[in-house]
Amino acid sequence: MNGLDLINRKRMSRNQAILFFLTLTAGIATGLIVYSSATTIVSLLRAATTALFVPLLISLVLTFLLEPPVTFFERKTGNRSLSIFIVYILAGCLLYLFLSWIIPHWKETWHSLQSDLPRYIGQMTGYLRDLVDRLHVQFPFIEAYDIPSRSRALAENFLGGIIIGTPKSALGIGGVLLIVPLFTFFFLRDGSRIVRTCISLAPNRTFEMVHDMTYLIILQLSHFVRGRIIEATIIGVVVYAGLSITDIRYPFFLAVFAGITNLVPYIGPLVGMIPGILIALIDLGLGGQFWWIVILYFLIAQVIIDNFILIPILISRFSNLHPLWVIIAIVIGGKLFGVIGMIIGVPIVSIIKITLIEIRHYRRTFSLIETTIEAENL
Amino acid sequence: MDPLWSNFFRNKLEEESLAYFLGTVPIFSDLGKRDRITLESLVHIRTYRQGETVFDEGDPGSGMYIIRNGRVQVFSRDSKGSEMEIARLGPGDFFGETTLTAPANRTASVRALEPTELLGLFRADVLELTKKQPAIACKILMGVTRVISERLQVAGKNLMQLRREHPQIFPDEIVA
Repeated sequence: MNGLDLINRKRMSRNQAILFFLTLTAGIATGLIVYSSATTIVSLLRAATTALFVPLLISLVLTFLLEPPVTFFERKTGNRSLSIFIVYILAGCLLYLFLSWIIPHWKETWHSLQSDLPRYIGQMTGYLRDLVDRLHVQFPFIEAYDIPSRSRALAENFLGGIIIGTPKSALGIGGVLLIVPLFTFFFLRDGSRIVRTCISLAPNRTFEMVHDMTYLIILQLSHFVRGRIIEATIIGVVVYAGLSITDIRYPFFLAVFAGITNLVPYIGPLVGMIPGILIALIDLGLGGQFWWIVILYFLIAQVIIDNFILIPILISRFSNLHPLWVIIAIVIGGKLFGVIGMIIGVPIVSIIKITLIEIRHYRRTFSLIETTIEAENL
Repeated sequence: MDPLWSNFFRNKLEEESLAYFLGTVPIFSDLGKRDRITLESLVHIRTYRQGETVFDEGDPGSGMYIIRNGRVQVFSRDSKGSEMEIARLGPGDFFGETTLTAPANRTASVRALEPTELLGLFRADVLELTKKQPAIACKILMGVTRVISERLQVAGKNLMQLRREHPQIFPDEIVA
């Protein structure tokens, strides 16, 4: 429908018509300005939020994870701050034990990984070259694309970036290690007070509904976050147990990688198994151990443990996302915050989905009762 | 002491505190001082202008309100929309307690008759308290149950009396 039709149908006065077209022009102009400066806004937003966004997010996840033990001790002691300290001391002891076990391994592994990486890349390029040669016989038109060289350059760039970037990100991690426990402490101690203050801003008429829904959303979110973390940990442990009975190198790091990538549904598990399968292929060849590792990643970890046991128990079916949303979340997250954005993009979209579902569920629950009452009155 | 400094260092009088006021409400009369301080951190203080609606009949209900200052009118609307006053409540009175334990729609509307301060206690907060401090939550819920039981008994007696006076209005199964 064009503007003139609208004027004729609604019988606008001349002044109203001028106002309508002026508003329309102003709207289009504003849209164009916002569109053209969108890149600047995004980069500003990214710069402003990156520094605090990740520590805040990690703190929130830790808060959800530590809430049950803190509540447990609070029930015993009756003092929340004391309970948080007890949980911190216990968590500190566990972290210390873990670090004292991992650090000697880490140094050793890091040196061997630096020498192994070029070898893995070389082997991978060799495999790709063979594959492309075979493909050239079948499809001669793809000869123009030099796939092995391109993929080698891509892999070297990516891995080189990780190796160079690690000391830099270690500095960042140092900062995070200081900020995260502090944020987590305050979230655990004053979290409910912060939420109450935010809710109190709601107008009187909607206050009760906002309060009730906030509680439901936080409850669902805590289940979701805890469920995902426990799921990733169990997958990591299963992969580690499965890999350690083979001769594959770096079983611990491959298991950690598989666990972390498992946080991203659909695509994550596939990405998580690539390094393991690749290293198995290069180091162990196409033998029994290689097929065991493939079965471990696909059948045992993903199909049996994750899909049949963990997801039905831990993750609500409502919070599962459609694959399309997963891809959109990964692309947008990656564009905004890089690799971390790719990992946290999906949980954030899941959080938005849970929020929307809770709002709809709340409205439906009460409108259903109303409908019943009306039906009874009729 | 200088009056300026005395204002800074003056301790809040016991009678002025929210915890003391909560102790005067029948539902919370069994709570000790420490329990009342916990309850103080649980309630939401809301202020209403004269004529402002607290909630409407049919709204989703998730808790009860206690009147700290001011007065409210509880009323119901018939099918034509005309209002029928059910009660006028003042400081220390409470309403909406039936939705504290089970989600249900409000059965009447409430509006402030003058500038009013209400203390809201909601199901979500009580549920949180059951996890963290179950003993206090139990005392609060026992208080609510006691008041609801008393009111139910009175309502039952009134219903029986009405039935005796007007047997034609009440079919047998309703009272049974």
